[in-house]
Amino acid sequence: MLGEFEYLMITAAAGLGDKAYGAAIREEIEHTTGRKCSIGALYTTIERLEKKGLLTTWMGEATPERGGRAKRMVRVTPKGVKAAKDFYDVVIRVSRGASWVANRTGSAS
Amino acid sequence: MGSEPDWERIMTAIGWSFVEVAARLLERGEREAVLGDLLEAGESGLQGVLDVFGLAVRRQLGLWKDWRPWLASFGMALPGSLLLMGFSLSVSQTYQRLIHPTIFKATGLTVGPGFTLFLCNVFLLIGWSWTGGFVMGSISRRTVRVSAIISFLPCVFCLARFRVESLSRFCLLLFLLPAVWGVCHGLQIAQIKLRSALILAAAITLLTIPTWTSKGSWIPNWALSWPAWYLVAMAWRSEARKERERWRTN
Repeated sequence: MLGEFEYLMITAAAGLGDKAYGAAIREEIEHTTGRKCSIGALYTTIERLEKKGLLTTWMGEATPERGGRAKRMVRVTPKGVKAAKDFYDVVIRVSRGASWVANRTGSAS
Repeated sequence: MGSEPDWERIMTAIGWSFVEVAARLLERGEREAVLGDLLEAGESGLQGVLDVFGLAVRRQLGLWKDWRPWLASFGMALPGSLLLMGFSLSVSQTYQRLIHPTIFKATGLTVGPGFTLFLCNVFLLIGWSWTGGFVMGSISRRTVRVSAIISFLPCVFCLARFRVESLSRFCLLLFLLPAVWGVCHGLQIAQIKLRSALILAAAITLLTIPTWTSKGSWIPNWALSWPAWYLVAMAWRSEARKERERWRTN
């Protein structure tokens, strides 16, 4: 099963689609979670997920705002989509009895 | 007041030159992507250096989950450098005893008894150092810097405590040149052919025969000879794999 950060990474990459690369994924994670995401955590997780076959990466285009340096593009594989979906299902199932989920259901009804 | 932006620009340039130096710890492809990401995110020089160091440390630690770096560093580099320093000293002392400078000056090359044994030891020192270096370089290329540091630590310690007046302290480092040569070859070619490996291992083992009679010599002998036989095992495995693939394709 995926770890929390691995799930965040796959979800952020899937959401960015064709524009998923290191800096964009990092910004997306920091923006949504409000937590700092280090370059070290980002790139070691990308490599680990690639080894597991959940992501594929390749060197993309270089842009002037990057000082002419290439991007490491990221794409989620079908296996990665399945792993993220499984993680999400587990989180939903395990959260059913939790007070905050019950309260939310109660307030909605 | 107008010089403030210039000052900031200079500080940013200095900071970025540190980031670029730190990024040399990363592999080329990754370096490119990481530096681009940092630039795009507008990170400061200090934050950039910390980020790059953080990634480099994580990368190094990740490599140490494997057994190879441990074998290269603590099975080869550390004990190998200690034993080879001892052997370098022994060879230097034998040289001093056999070829006395005054005799050498007066009559040309005058050699005492045991010169053949001395030559054997010189070849053995070169063989052990080269094979040790080769295995250190080939077994775990990405941790070779750490292995090199680990092998230098006992050298620094022994150089500082060296107290033989008739010899230069650099006699301890006779093994260094062939060892560095071996490391370079190990990094470049990773493996040698089975025949060459067998000849090398057999030659090294033969050269150790004169020392078999002395008590306690088998420990340093095997500690320094195993890299040669390890090369044989690796070459044999590679040849066997090639043979199997040839059978499969036919």
